Amino acid sequence: MISLHGVSLVYPNGVRALDNVSLDIAKGDFVFLVGHSGTGKSSLLRLLYREAKATTGTIVVDGIRVDRLRRNRVPALRRHLGVVFQDFKLLSDKTVWENVAFAMQVTGAHTRDVMRQVPRSLDLVGLSHKSRMYPTELSGGEQQRTAIARALVNNPKILLCDEPTGNLDPVNTTEITALLQRINLKGTTVVVATHNQAVVDRMRRRVVRLEDGRITTDEERGYYYLGLGQGQVLSG
Amino acid sequence: MDSGKVKFFLGEVLRNFSRNAGMQITAIGTVAITIVLLGLFLFIRAALADVGTRLLDQIEISAYLRPDITNAQVAAIGRYLAQDPRVASAKYIPKREGLAELRTQTRGAIDTALLTENPLPDKFRIKARVPEDVGAVAATVRRLDGVSNVVYGQKIVQRLLQLGAVLRRVGIGVIVVFLAVAGIIISNTIRLTVFARRREIAIMQLVGATNTYIRLPFICEGMLDGVLGALVAIGLLAIARATLWPRLLEALPWVAMSAAPVDPRILAAGLLLVGAAVGILASWISVGRHLRT
Repeated sequence: MISLHGVSLVYPNGVRALDNVSLDIAKGDFVFLVGHSGTGKSSLLRLLYREAKATTGTIVVDGIRVDRLRRNRVPALRRHLGVVFQDFKLLSDKTVWENVAFAMQVTGAHTRDVMRQVPRSLDLVGLSHKSRMYPTELSGGEQQRTAIARALVNNPKILLCDEPTGNLDPVNTTEITALLQRINLKGTTVVVATHNQAVVDRMRRRVVRLEDGRITTDEERGYYYLGLGQGQVLSG
Repeated sequence: MDSGKVKFFLGEVLRNFSRNAGMQITAIGTVAITIVLLGLFLFIRAALADVGTRLLDQIEISAYLRPDITNAQVAAIGRYLAQDPRVASAKYIPKREGLAELRTQTRGAIDTALLTENPLPDKFRIKARVPEDVGAVAATVRRLDGVSNVVYGQKIVQRLLQLGAVLRRVGIGVIVVFLAVAGIIISNTIRLTVFARRREIAIMQLVGATNTYIRLPFICEGMLDGVLGALVAIGLLAIARATLWPRLLEALPWVAMSAAPVDPRILAAGLLLVGAAVGILASWISVGRHLRT
């Protein structure tokens, strides 16, 4: 579903964000990208939805050669992806319903499809009853659920999350994590870049660790800290 | 047609438009001023061209004959003029008739009864088929036997044409500058809207809206600025035409001007198009700049 081979990313200011990264993510996978700030987690995600362009290497997302993608084909790629951010990126002058519908409306979806898809998406994240509320009237967790509903409304095969729980308290974090897991169970490939140790350790899913722009470890059922034992988690 | 789509789109355009109303009014005002000037310029140009053609059409050559001319010479000149293809008409006017004409033209301001002798020479009144030939015909006639002098309104015509050319050049310069200013102000207005909506644009790009789609509401907004400005201008021009134009015609009765040198509907349509084009172009450029970065 996602495949990176020998990918490097050097920003115009000379910073080498990623260095010879190779990674394969299968359909239906759930992957955590972990590492300190500035180790390239966000950069890696940005490459996938083509907010940044790889300096070298090949990137394939859902059969699309993203590293070679022409500018005018980027919108087509993004319609196959859902992206969620730490700061939600909701429009404060639109209701929950309108925020979710917006993602369909601006891609030229038929009103009939909007009317069908938006309620489904809101139902999935459990916000049907708050569809008329504005983002400022919601809790952080609800705002993030709205953002996830928006990311899912076009039925993407892949959901990319950049620090989705970064602004949330533990209760809301748990809620969002459970939601992401539910989405993954429905067959969506989920990639989450996170700092949150509790989330990673509770889920016990694939963990890809980045350090200074390189992948240092890739564990099938990993922990946040390398080599952390089961006992340590329980006692911690 | 998907009415929901249209409603959503129009809603977005209207929201943009009302978001910075002050700036929109400035833009519309500038466009209006520019287009009033453009309209005035086009109108004056058309009026001048109209006067010019009329004068050129009316221009006739007076070939004054020698006092000692013989009837045979008069007949020879008449025959010559009749066969010249450039000449539309040639009429022999003996001096008695000439005096009578003068009397009617001056409406008695010159008391011809005081004259003891008719001071006018006999003449031929010649009209050329096309105004451009007037000079050449006059030159030929001057060389004919028995012709003492040839007079036609050469200077007036030349001056008029020169004035028209100068006015056109200056006018075009002024209009170009004003259109540029209007374009810049619209472009700035749109840039403010783009800035106010940068989050929305970022989200649109994120969820896979095409640049064309993102651009469209802004283009519409610019077009709206241009069209509204043009409508205001057309209204002002219509008022000016209804109130000032008849007075001008009255004040300048000797200027052979037609009441409507241009079709006002065509002029209005043209101005509307110019307004829309400036708006579209200006917003296209300013949004494009944002999307590229």
